[in-house]
Amino acid sequence: MASNPAIHQDVLCPFCGLGCDDLTVEAETGGLAVRSTDCPIARDRFARTPPAEPPRVAGTPVPLQDATRAAATALGGSGAPLVAGLGTDVGGVRAALALAQRLGAVVDHALSDGLYRNLAVLQRTGWIATTLAELRNRCDLLLVAGPDPAAFHPRLYERWVAPTPAFQNPPSREVVFLCGEPLDSPRAALVNLPVTVLPGDPARIGDVAAALTAALPDPSRAVGAAGIPAADIAALAERLLKARYAVVAWAASAFQAPHADLTVERLVRLVHDVNRHTRCAGLPLAGHDNVVGANQVCTWQLGVPLRASLGGGAPLHDPYRFAWDRYLDTADAVLWISSFRPEVPIFPPGKPVIVLAPPGTPFATEPAVFIPVGTPGIDHPGHVFRSDTVVALRARGLIDRGLPDVATVLTAITAALPQEAAAC
Amino acid sequence: MLMKLAGGRIYDPANGRDSAVGDLFVQDGRIVADPGPGAAPDEVHDLTGRVVMAGAIDIHSHIAGGKVNIARLLMAEEHRAAALASEEPCGCGGAIATPSTHVTGCRYAQMGYTAAFEPAMLPSNARHAHLEMADIPLIDTGGYLVLGNDDLLLELLASGAGEEAVADYVGCMLNATRSLAIKAVNPGGINAFKYNQRRLNVDEAGPFHAITPRRILTALAAAVHRLGIPHPLHLHGFNLGVPGNAEATLDSIEAVEGLRLHLTHVQFHAYGVEGDRKFSSAAARIAEAVNRRPNISVDVGQIMFGQTVTASADTMAQMGNAGLAHPKKWVMMDIECDAGCGVVPFRYRDKAFVNALQWAIGLELFLLIEDPWRIFLTTDHPNGAPFTSYPELIRLLMDRDHRLARMAELHPDLPQHTILGSLTREYTLGEIATMTRAAPARILGLADRGHLGPGAAADITVYTDRPDRRAMFEKPDLVFKDGRLIVRNGVVIALGAGRTHVVEPAYDPTIEAWMGRRFDKRMGQRLAHFRIAEEEIRGGNGLVRHACTPGAF
Ligand code: SF4
Ligand SMILES: [Zn+2]
Repeated sequence: MASNPAIHQDVLCPFCGLGCDDLTVEAETGGLAVRSTDCPIARDRFARTPPAEPPRVAGTPVPLQDATRAAATALGGSGAPLVAGLGTDVGGVRAALALAQRLGAVVDHALSDGLYRNLAVLQRTGWIATTLAELRNRCDLLLVAGPDPAAFHPRLYERWVAPTPAFQNPPSREVVFLCGEPLDSPRAALVNLPVTVLPGDPARIGDVAAALTAALPDPSRAVGAAGIPAADIAALAERLLKARYAVVAWAASAFQAPHADLTVERLVRLVHDVNRHTRCAGLPLAGHDNVVGANQVCTWQLGVPLRASLGGGAPLHDPYRFAWDRYLDTADAVLWISSFRPEVPIFPPGKPVIVLAPPGTPFATEPAVFIPVGTPGIDHPGHVFRSDTVVALRARGLIDRGLPDVATVLTAITAALPQEAAAC
Repeated sequence: MLMKLAGGRIYDPANGRDSAVGDLFVQDGRIVADPGPGAAPDEVHDLTGRVVMAGAIDIHSHIAGGKVNIARLLMAEEHRAAALASEEPCGCGGAIATPSTHVTGCRYAQMGYTAAFEPAMLPSNARHAHLEMADIPLIDTGGYLVLGNDDLLLELLASGAGEEAVADYVGCMLNATRSLAIKAVNPGGINAFKYNQRRLNVDEAGPFHAITPRRILTALAAAVHRLGIPHPLHLHGFNLGVPGNAEATLDSIEAVEGLRLHLTHVQFHAYGVEGDRKFSSAAARIAEAVNRRPNISVDVGQIMFGQTVTASADTMAQMGNAGLAHPKKWVMMDIECDAGCGVVPFRYRDKAFVNALQWAIGLELFLLIEDPWRIFLTTDHPNGAPFTSYPELIRLLMDRDHRLARMAELHPDLPQHTILGSLTREYTLGEIATMTRAAPARILGLADRGHLGPGAAADITVYTDRPDRRAMFEKPDLVFKDGRLIVRNGVVIALGAGRTHVVEPAYDPTIEAWMGRRFDKRMGQRLAHFRIAEEEIRGGNGLVRHACTPGAF
């Protein structure tokens, strides 16, 4: 661990799943400052690094051991616990799943909404997808569907779209925004590329995808959709057919339609059908707070993705019943993990809530137990997954605030549970 | 602590023992020489009449990594139907074709396996594969690094780089990803698919980089030789599953010009175009070529009937098979300028002629290839069948009557298309011990595994000799891992972590300057971050390094 003040080069940013590993971060009194990029997420998260504070039980500062014991008592006595948030690195997720198996808990990640809109389609129909370096080096037509994903992944264009595709000859690239306006600052990264904006009703992206799919066999017979005229649909269908490697990118968490997974399904269908003629691949973006990593670990350990219950013996996955915000009402105790951001939801009253989160996290109601933890990539090394699900990254520790990591805390809680057979 | 395994019938082909009655001694997780009459063992197992072998080693089984997780997600039905509660001490999980990590480790151990190797670790996915392998309990693991479709290698070849530079690149990648061997999957083909090419002939220049598959194949085989990696280039060949692909398989054998080459799941690459159905067995021709060339080894990739899922980096082949998906859903991914991933659920039907003939081709290969040191028992889990079907497969190899009875239940036209019925060979226990223990360890360079001589890791499996070989191999009496008893009567009784086997060949690090620039400019990732640190593997515990001997193999 470097001593203050220090400048850290080539820092890996663990926050949004884009995997930027080129940051310069300076340690100064009161926190960290990002020097190399104006990515608002990185700047904000690295900067929010106040000094450690002690754990609290019922609002009273206590030693860590007392806090983990209080957490174990509350969780051990519950009949329907929820272990969620899961904003932590791979080691933290492993420890959370081990605890959840002992408790027979329901597990989910805070940001799994967007992920599940995608997973629902993957499980129903499958898909053709790609990864960030393929986008960067091979894509000659990027179709961005819906609200600009750069809101969630600020350096998407700068790092993965603005560079010239290395493995296409000639190395051309154009970008089309469909039913969404590019945000200003990300758009600046695209100044050297041809950009087309096709404004349309963002709640009806699925209709546009369906219209494009229908137009592929004969673009001259295209019909308009979501406010986009037939001629524009026809022209875009032609471009998709002429592309060498088209990528359709979306951030499902930004979709507003009530059945957003159907929107994803229609985008996936479009990608599938373009592949009858040329190459095309989808790029579902969803990677904040290591939601992708949490889902990977859960899938390899349990065989099923998140939104799983370990309460009935064998793992049971139900994306509806076991979504954390729905299960919150059923649960009689909640363990919430949020090591990447000092933010937690408002929990319903009348049940013990145990929170692992960075120091300084504000609460609407003081939780039964609050244990301040370090952030992977700031306080300790940790593995996180990139949004494209393929690349796992190792973030390193930059400063030592004397905060425990999530895995250590959860392992201590598990060890303090009353001894009995595993629930699952 | 000293343990004595007394009086068993020892099958230890690496040390020339074939049903030799004798004692084994174990101390600190290793097999030791007989300490003499004065020694007092702390623990004695009377194994009189029992069959004793080293722990079995699976050289090709897709147990971890991105495509395995996609397969789990896609096979949601199997996870609903075959979810498992925790069977203490194993954790919960589920499934057969796409087992979760605990189920993977426990099922292998229950069959007497103490190691299984993930044969398709993509460079970009290596860290994930290692994280996942660390969660597989009980068995040792390791990964083969997939090269041959990576744009960096193709750029290097296109630049006219010599053998030395290619070897340096391969050496750097192996070290960086903590791999045990190099695998090539349809060299050039996965890359060509990214340019919408659905076929690529061995001597056809691929798109963009304009390199032929033959060039890639020979460059990688030469690099493996130069670096002295114990395992030969592990080749998933051309035109997987396509009738007539045996020509390309025979051509690959010629292409390496005497260098060592391992042809994986060769059953899927042993198809001819003869007969009324334009689909025939070329097993005899492939076997003849293998028998003649000691530089060639194969694993079979036997298919067994039932539901499974195929998961492969070979997107070109998988896209061709996608129409056969059962259930009808599949995933293709282009991955990170290094390879791809295609996951297609599939059901092999015993009443379907094509599947029945695939089954027969696999068995023909097993029975026609003579040297059990150069043929390995695999189902290419889960592509041909889940690894849990090994006991049945062993019975098919050891029991001709069973083989014939099974054959009679298959598609009625099968007997006219296979010589299987005329093959009388039955594998012996010694040959099974070679094929599943001694030979895998030798071909991977694991000097202290797969045998029972002093110094070997005490990975030991004890069976009751039953005439029903399936029952025998399904449920060993005892399994020891590193000297610890982990399975008794087919039930896991203790949990533990496995180890990760790697090689670290020496190479000239000046190549890293070029690679570093390419990583920055192409991959959006620093080479330094791509590199997996030792402490990332099982928390720094359990890396086992094996020696490389440049030019020796
Ligand atoms: S874009 Fe994402 S990964 Fe990159 S610096 Fe910003 S928050 Fe970090
Ligand atoms: Zn395979």
